[in-house]
Amino acid sequence: MTSYLTWRRLPILLAIGVVVFAFVYVLFITTAPTEFGVGDWRTTTFGSAVHDPSNFLKIVLDSITFAAALFIVASGFALIFGLMRVVNMAHGSFYLLAGYIAYEIQQDMTGQGFSLQSSEVNTWEWLVPLAVAAPCIAVVGLFVQQAFLRWNQGQELRQALITIAVSVIIADQIIAHFPRNTSQGQRFGGNAVDLTWPGWTDRFVNLHIGGVQYSLARLVMLGIGVAVGVGLWLWLYRTKTGMIIRAGVDDRQMTSALGINIQKTFAIAFAVGSALAALGAVVWASQSNISSGQDGVWLLNSLVVVIVGGMGSIFGAAAGAILFAFVSNFGASYLPTTGSDCCTQYSSILTFVLIALVLSFRPRGLFGRGT
Amino acid sequence: MRRVTLRSWKTAAVLVMACAAVALGANGSLAASHAKVVKVAIMTDCKGAFAFGYDFDIGGAQGAFAQFAHGVTKNHAKPSAGMTGIHVGSTQVKIVGYGCGNDTVPLAITETKRLMEQLNADVEIGPLSGDEAVATANYAKAHPTKTFIIGTAGSQDPTMQIAPKNMFRYHGDGAQWNAGIGELAYKKLHWRKAAIIMDDYSFGWTSAAGMIADFCAVGGDIVKRVFPPLNTTDYSSWVRQLPPPNQVDGYFSAVGGTGTSAMLKAFEQAYGKLNPKQWIGNLFFGFLGADKVVAPKLVGSYVGGFGNNPGVHYPKVDAYRAFMTKLYPKIPADDGFTYNYYMAAKALVQGLQKSGGAVGAKLQASLPRSINGPFQISNGGFVKLDSRRQAIQDQYQLQLVKNKDGSVSPQVVAYVPAVDQSFGGLFKPTSPPPGRTQPPCKRVHTPWQGKIQLVVNGKITKQVLK
Amino acid sequence: MSPAWNPAAWTRRQQIERGLVAAVLVLMIVFPATGISAYWSHQILIRTFLFGVAAASLIFLFAYGGMVSLAQTALFGIAGVILGNLATKGGPGGTSKGLHLGWDPTVALVLAIVLTTVIGLIFGAVAARSAGIYFLMITLTYSVIATYTLGQVTKISGFSGIGGINRYTPGWIGNILDHPNRLYYIALGVAVFVYALIRYIVRTPFGLTLQGVRDEPIRMSSLGYNVPLHRTLAFGFAAFIASLAGVLYAWWSGQVAPGNVDLPETINLLVMAVIGGLVRIEGAWLGAFAFILMDNYITSSTHIPGLGFGGTLFGGSFNTIVGVIFLVIVLVSPDGLLGIWGRLFEGRYLIRGRGAPPTIEPTIEAPEASQ
Repeated sequence: MTSYLTWRRLPILLAIGVVVFAFVYVLFITTAPTEFGVGDWRTTTFGSAVHDPSNFLKIVLDSITFAAALFIVASGFALIFGLMRVVNMAHGSFYLLAGYIAYEIQQDMTGQGFSLQSSEVNTWEWLVPLAVAAPCIAVVGLFVQQAFLRWNQGQELRQALITIAVSVIIADQIIAHFPRNTSQGQRFGGNAVDLTWPGWTDRFVNLHIGGVQYSLARLVMLGIGVAVGVGLWLWLYRTKTGMIIRAGVDDRQMTSALGINIQKTFAIAFAVGSALAALGAVVWASQSNISSGQDGVWLLNSLVVVIVGGMGSIFGAAAGAILFAFVSNFGASYLPTTGSDCCTQYSSILTFVLIALVLSFRPRGLFGRGT
Repeated sequence: MRRVTLRSWKTAAVLVMACAAVALGANGSLAASHAKVVKVAIMTDCKGAFAFGYDFDIGGAQGAFAQFAHGVTKNHAKPSAGMTGIHVGSTQVKIVGYGCGNDTVPLAITETKRLMEQLNADVEIGPLSGDEAVATANYAKAHPTKTFIIGTAGSQDPTMQIAPKNMFRYHGDGAQWNAGIGELAYKKLHWRKAAIIMDDYSFGWTSAAGMIADFCAVGGDIVKRVFPPLNTTDYSSWVRQLPPPNQVDGYFSAVGGTGTSAMLKAFEQAYGKLNPKQWIGNLFFGFLGADKVVAPKLVGSYVGGFGNNPGVHYPKVDAYRAFMTKLYPKIPADDGFTYNYYMAAKALVQGLQKSGGAVGAKLQASLPRSINGPFQISNGGFVKLDSRRQAIQDQYQLQLVKNKDGSVSPQVVAYVPAVDQSFGGLFKPTSPPPGRTQPPCKRVHTPWQGKIQLVVNGKITKQVLK
Repeated sequence: MSPAWNPAAWTRRQQIERGLVAAVLVLMIVFPATGISAYWSHQILIRTFLFGVAAASLIFLFAYGGMVSLAQTALFGIAGVILGNLATKGGPGGTSKGLHLGWDPTVALVLAIVLTTVIGLIFGAVAARSAGIYFLMITLTYSVIATYTLGQVTKISGFSGIGGINRYTPGWIGNILDHPNRLYYIALGVAVFVYALIRYIVRTPFGLTLQGVRDEPIRMSSLGYNVPLHRTLAFGFAAFIASLAGVLYAWWSGQVAPGNVDLPETINLLVMAVIGGLVRIEGAWLGAFAFILMDNYITSSTHIPGLGFGGTLFGGSFNTIVGVIFLVIVLVSPDGLLGIWGRLFEGRYLIRGRGAPPTIEPTIEAPEASQ
């Protein structure tokens, strides 16, 4: 056992120690402050999990449901990246375009009035925007792939730069032409607009654990994320196209040498990946909102999730999403409140420092493999 | 063995010189201008969070030029197409360029330098946003011969801590815009304990400072301050840090445009239906009127102002609206972006009239220290500048109402006279600028305490808020 | 082996290139004295020099180290922020943000460069074992951490950043606000120095080893070279160069804010490097010049007659135009403008879409034959 404790292993042991301490801190050590503005390294907003289990459970659920949304968007990115080694920097722009298209469709369907309450929206009026936006974005993605990425495979940096240029153009055009249909008429500029979940999601579900009531809409989001994961798994592991994709991920040249039309598979994968970005946009725009500037944020989110989880693997994308969501939410909730101005707002810095450290220890991501 | 031919070197050198000459000729700065022309640049945003403000700002400024300086617009549908024929007496005024910022400091500096040094503007009207104004204030300090009239920036520093002698602001800062709303919460809604959630950046802090200062001044208590970072994706863990609705009387929100509806939706999913009587927001709640999903849930909540009074009618403000709507039908005259740039340009015209067309120090001495504004009532209708060239301006607080046609828009409900930047001495040049803990919750006497008049159906009544 | 300064042995291409460079250098030296355009001297050209230095650090890491680093902008900003914190004074007449230590500007200058280099070494040490996309991801994470840190830690910066830095220049430089030509010559001198330094370093044993590590890391490792150490040192050297650019920027602009290190600025630096040409150091200044020209003159002329709605491209702003230009450059010539220049000499005037366009793989050249 002592042979394990060598100098070389020191960083990993430190990391394990910090993680264990964080767990124990959140679960047992921390206490809630007695009054606002007073605190030390031991106080956090909610106190420990044993002291306040219902809030702890809610935050865990928040993290899992946010991870589901992250997974939906990142899985599209992972599919494209894993198979074609293309860092699709336009993924965020596809997300944004899908969100605005879905918004316009939902506005057209629910009438031109001034109110769009959940109760006025039924499931059909949520599904049709999705059914229009996803194929639109799949077509856009397909066009980009065929026109700009098909003939320079292997030149990863060049493809990344091409997709950066495409993303700049798309993002600027979105500002010029969207949103078209707000209650104050046309207001371009990429303002924030929302989609709405169908009415039946607008309630709380009693979880029968610690008296916790949780939002059904977020659970629906979790359900969609799980469905996407299962669907992708079935597609990749139980269909012929999926088998070709997996083979292509492992060894592209060999697959092609076996006479399989790898170009068609690439095209399908790019279209599906873009459609997943669209699905993620519709889901998150219903949950939150859509506005210009979110393309950069969601591209960064996808990049982080996929790289940290390990490229080319749906399982890796899920793991990365869970890690990112948990660190973000737990950082925001359980960083110490040492005074009235510290420290939960630094959770973003903490998240990215942790990301950098994970990548330094596991350069290929947590579950990465291969070249 | 190759000979190094001098010819190839010389040819290359000549080519480079020729390119340079052509490029510089295109630059145009070689031409000397002989006529007496005052060059004006309008600095605004065409990218980033306030991209929609581009035409509003330009339309507002050019509106004032059209009304007071004989400007003729090139395109009634698009102000940024330009304006010609502006003259003040015998002095010609030329708009040399429109700056395009993105709400960040570096681009503000680059654009300001382009406008002031490449296009040689004498006066800049702008910028639009708070951080850009801080950058411009530092630039102004280093260039005393140029004059700067702020457009709509809400940061406190440019006229409080930095305060260069050549920078003027004819509207309130972000804190002033919220003056009176705390008193409304305390007296009308009977809030005693409140929590506040604000964007963790300068405008969030400044806007929140106005709400906190006003609420605490009359005796309220802020029990918790929450600061989600900018570009937060998931607001769920931030709204959970707010105390539940049964533990506080209400919530103030200074969360900005792209996050407002996201934050409110997250709050609903955490704590249940939004109660308008428990929510007060800064001016971004007013923008929510375009949002069909969240705005109807907040009908009845109070909204911070922007220095203008939409929907209030009396002769001079109706005249202003009529003029602007005729000139630029697509630009809302009542929008704060339009109105504040209008006032800046109007001040410039008056300054040029007094200085006889001179710019530089003479213009800075001639710019009005007291100017009649359509939305100003106190002090005889004149907005006064304080010793640091910052406006003491009437403010109006609003409430989201549902109109007859079902739309939701903010309506003026309170008139707050003569709001100054210091909030009765709470903010000083030597005090730190608004931040996470600044201002502290203190009982002070603000000049407008007890003097707020209620506005009913677009008419300012004599009834005082008690 | 010393590079032979033997003009008689230069190829035609080298003659023309060196002639041009000499002519441009002479032009740059006499330009301010001619008084032709103060705006060009003080805005366009100074920015070209200093952003060229920053882009050179990026190109150095890519061309000779094989690493695409998106952290150069962050290091550039960090140097400026450190300088601002150390050199500026608070109080009446001072600037309102930062630590206001008010130290001697020369000491502050040296410390800013040294500290940024140390931070670069730390960044490099953490990232050294990653390669390719993972390295790019870690450096992107550094850039995000820098943005959040500068924005949220108000003691050292804050969102408006630190202002008035150009009022505290070292005594041996004097007042650059009154004498902006001094900054011009300093920037020009630093650019020439950085260029010569990089050209020198790549010929040293360290430089040659680095190029070996770039091409065959496993082989080098088996030969006994410490690959992570070399990468770390290369990153530190690039951080040193970026810090020089950062200091120059702080003096030029007077203000450093989180907006200098955020994602759009990082992408801009990459765009500058790519437009110039990623394989040659000269491309840094060429790319910076082209980008700044585009940025400046396209913004001034938002109405391009005959194009799209309202005179802009498809109704968008000049961002669309910049995006299209960048896309065209990357599609036509992945080696940027210098790649086009090189092709003129190789007899290929047109790039066809199919086939194998040249990749952005840099080649090791023997010292005598290098350009």
